[in-house]
Order: sequence, then C-alpha cells, then structure tokens
Amino acid sequence: MIEVKNISRTYGKKKTAFQALKDINFTIPTGASVAIIGKSGSGKSTLMHAMSGLDKPQTGQILVNGVNILNLKQKQVDAFRSEKIGFIFQSFFVQANESCFDNVSLPLEIGNIPRSKRKSMVEAALTEVDLQDKKKNRARDLSGGQKQRLAVARAIVTEPEILFADEPTGNLDSVTGAKIEDLLFDYNKKKGVTLIIVTHDADLAGRCDIRIFVKDGLIDKIEKTAISKKKVQL
Amino acid sequence: MKTTDIMRRAGRGLRHAKVRTILTALAIGVGAFTLTLTIAASTGAKAFIDQVISDNFDPAELIVTKDEQILGNGDTSKPREYDPNFGSSISGGGAVTQIKRLDQTDLEKIRATDGVELVREGVSVNAVYVTRAGQKRFVGTLQAFSAAMKPELLAGSMPNSLSGNKLLLPEGYLESLGFKNSQSAIGEKITIAVRKSIDPGLLSAQLANGANPEQLAKLSTDSITTEQFEIVAVLKKPVTAQPGTELYLYIANEDALRLNDVATKGTADYQKYPSVYVRVKDGEDAQKLQAVQQRLKDLNYNTLSVEETQKFLLQFISILQGIVVGFAFLAVIASVFGVINTQYISVLERTQQIGLMKALGTRRRDIARLFRFEAAWIGLLGGALGSGTAYILGTLLNPWISDTIDLGDAKLLIFEITPIATLILGLMLVAVLAGILPARKAGKLDPVEALRTE
Repeated sequence: MIEVKNISRTYGKKKTAFQALKDINFTIPTGASVAIIGKSGSGKSTLMHAMSGLDKPQTGQILVNGVNILNLKQKQVDAFRSEKIGFIFQSFFVQANESCFDNVSLPLEIGNIPRSKRKSMVEAALTEVDLQDKKKNRARDLSGGQKQRLAVARAIVTEPEILFADEPTGNLDSVTGAKIEDLLFDYNKKKGVTLIIVTHDADLAGRCDIRIFVKDGLIDKIEKTAISKKKVQL
Repeated sequence: MKTTDIMRRAGRGLRHAKVRTILTALAIGVGAFTLTLTIAASTGAKAFIDQVISDNFDPAELIVTKDEQILGNGDTSKPREYDPNFGSSISGGGAVTQIKRLDQTDLEKIRATDGVELVREGVSVNAVYVTRAGQKRFVGTLQAFSAAMKPELLAGSMPNSLSGNKLLLPEGYLESLGFKNSQSAIGEKITIAVRKSIDPGLLSAQLANGANPEQLAKLSTDSITTEQFEIVAVLKKPVTAQPGTELYLYIANEDALRLNDVATKGTADYQKYPSVYVRVKDGEDAQKLQAVQQRLKDLNYNTLSVEETQKFLLQFISILQGIVVGFAFLAVIASVFGVINTQYISVLERTQQIGLMKALGTRRRDIARLFRFEAAWIGLLGGALGSGTAYILGTLLNPWISDTIDLGDAKLLIFEITPIATLILGLMLVAVLAGILPARKAGKLDPVEALRTE
C-alpha cells in the first residue's frame, strides 16, 4: 500500500519559486493499477518521482507499506529503488551499445544478485516479454516496440512490488503501444504488482483501476473503476 | 554493485569509445615509454658498473694512499711545496705534480694495523718495449695481477700463481707479436724491456768528463734491461675493463715489484708507491671494512672502498636519470589533463546512462567507482602500450646499441619486471587521480534531471 500524505514540492526560491505539488493526498492499494493523468507541467511526473524516491518533496509523507521513504537515508532509498521498484520510461533508455542480456542484467548487478542466479532471471524476464531469441542482439538493432519490451523486461527482472511507467506508449504507434499495455496489465494481474502509469492518454488511463487526475499541482479528481471488482480497500 | 561488475561495465564503456580510449591511453603511453626506457637504461648502466667493479676489484680491498689528491680530494688551486723525498709525476691533465707516495715505513704501519690481512702494492711498470724474436717492438704496460680479477681467457689456463715470470697476454697483442691465433701463443716467451734508472754517480762522472754525447747514449742503452716472460694465457678483450686497461700485460705482483725496483732504483720513488691495495680480514662485512678504514684514517691515510667507488660512479647515472625522469613526468602530467578531459566528455555523453543507473538504485559511490575504473583501465592500457613498445624497441635495438658504443655482450637496456609493473601501477594510480573530478561529477548527477525528456 502506498499512502501519499500532504505532499508539497516547490522548485526555486522566493520570487522564482514554483509550487509543482500542492498538498497532495491519496492512497493506492497493493496490486492496483493506477493512472496519473494530467497535462504537461501539471505535476504528474514530479508526483511519480516523489513516489519512487527519485525526488524529495519538502513536506509530507510517502508511506510505502508503512515506511516513510522520505525519511530514509540516500543509501536506503537506493536500496528501496533497487529492490522494490521497476521503471519504464517513454524514451525506453535502453543501452543501445549493450546486448539485450546485459541491459536486463543491469538491475540485478545493481541489486548485488550473484552472477550464477542472474542468467536464469534475465532469461525468464526476456521470455516474459517474448524477446528470448534476441538475448545476444544489441539493443540498437531492435525496433521501438522491442526496445520498450526490453525496458519492461529490465523493469520486471528484479520482481519489484511497484512498477512505474512514465508514458510507456508515448513513443510508439497504437498497435505496438497496445502490445506494451497488454504486457503491463497482464503482469499486473498475474503477479499482483502495483502498476502506476503516468500518461495523458485517456484510453490507456481507462484500463486502470484508479485514475488520479492532476491539474496545476493539485488533485483534480480520483476515479475508481468498479468493473475491476477486486477486493480493494480504498 | 559488485566490483567485478563495475569493472566489466567500465571495460565495456571504454570499448564503445575505442578511438578516444586509445588516443587518451597513448598520451599516457608516451610517458610510460620514456620512463620505461629510462629505468631500463639506468638498470643497465648500474649492472654494467657493478660488473666492471666485481670483475676488477675485490670488495674486501681498500685503496690506500698518503696523498689525498690521488682519490680526487685535496686542494689543487695552490702549488705544493717541494719535497725532496718524492719524485714527480705527470697527472692526467698533463700538469706535473709531486705525489706523496707511501714508503716502506708507511707499508709497515699499514700492515701492522688491526684487521689488515694483506697489503698488495699493485704496481704498474711502463716497459720500454715488448717484443718477440723476429718481431717489431711495441710499447706496453706491465700490471700486477689481482686475485679479484676474473678475466675471460681465449686460450691457456690460469695458474695458481703467476710468479716466476709468467704472463697473461691481452688479445690486442696477438697479431702484433706475430701469433696466428691465441692457442699458438701459449708457452711462447716474449721479451720485456725495462729502463733502469740511471745511476746518478755514473751520470755525474760522465757529465764531469765533458758529457760526450756518444757515451751518454751508451749509458742510456746500457740502462735497458730485458727479461723473458712465458705466456700462460691469452685474455679476451674485456668488456668490463676500466677504459685504457685492456692492453695491460698482467704479471705476478712479485715480478712487477722487482721490475718496478729496477726502474726506480736510485730515484726518490724507489720502493715508494702512490697507492696500495689493502685486503681487510673478513672485509666483505661492511662494518669490519669501515672499522679498518677508520683506523687507517686515524693514521692519516686516505682510503677508498669498492663500494665508495661504485657510489661515485652511480652518482652520475642518478643525476642523468633524474633529468630524463623529470621530462617523462612532464609528459605524464600533460596526459593527466587528457584523462580529465576525456572523462568529462564521457560523463556528459553518458548522462542518460548514469541517470538510468541511479534511478535503478545504483549508489553514488558505485557510479564514481565506474568512472574511476575506466580511468584506471586507460592508465593500464597506456602504461602497457608505452612500456610494451619500449620493451620491444629496446630489445630489438639492444644489440645495435651495444655494438655502437662498444659494450660487447653487455646490454645498455635491461628490462626488469618489477620496476615496469610498479610503473604501470603508478600510472594507473595517476589516471585514477585524474579521473576523480569527472567521477565525482558523474556521482552527483541528478537522475531526474538526467532522464528528463520533456
């Protein structure tokens, strides 16, 4: 469970100060799929960064399974991201020079997983995204959709509890984008992983259990889809 | 992250920028090349000096003089007072000076000194000529043989003692004295002519008679005495001889002394020696050697040990080496800026990669380590390239160098693994130090900024 309490984030000082987040509060149950929706500059990315420990809001609390990640030391935040979180970015951020295997292996190396265990974990993740036969290919030789699938494999290889996806289909055509969406939601259902998608795509948002609309640093509204019928306590 | 994983990723990072990596490494390589050659040359020079010393001197022996000037000390800016007890001698530069020689009283005092095992006069006698039946006459110098010498023989064998007019013939005399080869010289006799000092009584009598030129000339001819010496061995032209000594004709100390007496009898220098060799009992032990040196110094003699000679010679090499090393260090310093520059560019180019790694939970320390390892790889590559090139080039050129500067079998450049390995490690350290600032910049990178795509 993720509890966001009274989060405020201000950039700059005094005259040039800009408040990106203004006293945000909400709760995300474990295993839910959540869309954070808003226009460019609305504060949705800042919110995602705060929830994933990349950024530190000045005030408030973010409790992940009861632990306030804003109180953690840098070393602990790094460990939290490495162990609990998977990231998927709009621009993929796969390492073009490296093989698919090495790309997916990176989070395991960061997490100090012994080399002997890595091979099977990487292969399982690549199989999950249907890239098992591209193991030795360089990432630069992949198509856009394949790159994003590779990024998904990299995000799930550590079996994280929370999966953040920042405009995961933003750079893809609708057909390939739909495949990535399926991949993410299937994984969300199958593993019970909390999936948090930052997007401005209404269709994608529509597939999520919860939709948090952000506008000018404030929560505009929160929608919950009844059809999910999960035993979710909000 | 595990160190091995970071090292692997560092290596991969460099491979992806091959040209840049190699160019930066080459900058370090220039320094490594120069330093390797310098080290090799000074190792070679030191080994050469050690060889010269050990082939010619006994480490347990001291050179002892009464005159401090012989050992390069003393005031030479003022003229000396004339002393009728000593003859005159021409020093190296051609100026005539009077050398205070050691006389028999001095030798007795030295022999009586505690710890002195043996005193060897070690004289050299200038022969008027050296010849063989049916051959021309050649000039030559007879030198008392020292047991510490380890000459290489072309033919014959070294007898236990040379005394009784036995002689070691240097290779250079073979052809001149009409020998077909070194083997044919063994057992043959050669004639050595030494000029007797002219009897002052006879000379003054001749002068009193009106100095008849013919009779004076006869006096001079009569003064030449000859002795036969048997060749027992032929010496190979030594590589490690002191310059100017390769034509010495070696004879036993007693024989040399006898001839020296013949040459100096009646003069002020009769049975007086500019320097003597003093063998110290258990003198291989530096402490015992120094104790004897101190005792002789207390008796107002000057001493020089082999070690001191060696130090003196090595001093020149150290100075030269220092200069070259200084220049090589300038090259290394220049390459440091190369490494800093390269690594800065590398950090800028890989902002996204660093951002991603940090977002995925890589610690700041590990990011910095990644870049430090890259710098270390560059240092290793540069060091290996430079030292390797120096090694290959040096090994190829060694025979040519030895030939050109007449070193014989000795090598000018001696490559040893330890100093080269130390050098490469040092250069890696320098590269890492140069990479500290860029590595810190990489470590401080804000992942949110680095991954911003909007």
